[in-house]
Amino acid sequence: MTITQALQAWLALEHEAVWLYPVLGARRDDLVDRATASFEAHRDTRDALVTRLRALDVVPVTAALAYTVGPLSTTADARTAAQSLESRIAAACLALVGLAEDALRRYAVSNLTKAAVAEQTWGAEPRAFPGLP
Amino acid sequence: MTRRVLLGTGAAVVVAGGALAAGRLTGRLDDAADAVGLDPKPLPDPADTTIIGRAAFAMAGVLAAVEATAAAHADLALAGFEAIGREHLEALGGTTASTDVAAPPTDRVEAVKVLEAVYGEAVKGRADDAADAFSADLVQVLASMSAGLAQCLRAIRSLR
Repeated sequence: MTITQALQAWLALEHEAVWLYPVLGARRDDLVDRATASFEAHRDTRDALVTRLRALDVVPVTAALAYTVGPLSTTADARTAAQSLESRIAAACLALVGLAEDALRRYAVSNLTKAAVAEQTWGAEPRAFPGLP
Repeated sequence: MTRRVLLGTGAAVVVAGGALAAGRLTGRLDDAADAVGLDPKPLPDPADTTIIGRAAFAMAGVLAAVEATAAAHADLALAGFEAIGREHLEALGGTTASTDVAAPPTDRVEAVKVLEAVYGEAVKGRADDAADAFSADLVQVLASMSAGLAQCLRAIRSLR
């Protein structure tokens, strides 16, 4: 995997997050505040990644029309979907961590931590090694 | 590789194959070379070995702090953090250094605040180590460790 591929894989997940959290907030009144905050954070990260990729003369991956996230009919379902997505984002960031150097590596480490903590805010328990299998 | 973890009140001493773990983490111990008996074996990057030793010592300190707090404040339910601390230390191959920590405050909230400071420092320390390390495997382990410590920090804050 190259750095560009790792950035694209991460961006694809940020697109999914920008799609998921409004859906989740619309379906679960009790989670709307948290979903709004998550949406805003991921929207900013998505935009930053798009800018990074364009600066590399790379065409950023685009969002899908919709994503398969499982049922969101209960609060527990919604939390599970959010945890799963944040966990996958952590793994994507960790892949980039292993490839990047200097400022990009620090950026990836910082976002790995953000994703790990976000996973926790959606109900996950602390783990020794977020992002690792 | 076998590891023995010896834990005492306010101190954590881990006896382990640190050099072997360092080699595994830095990807320089080549199983294929072992299989055909090649000698000498490739050595870990010296800077990475230094980082591993520093991180192991620091994580022994975190484990010692959480164990001491758990012993003084059983109601805090810190067993999960102790388990994570042991996983972190094992991944780094342990340390032969003895880590002494100050007795935690008798006040519960103050004891939690001290732990928060310990974890906060560890989050930053392992992130800095990840930034400095050479081997991609080691970089990922340290970065992931930092993220796990950040999760622990958030959970510990909620104990106040």
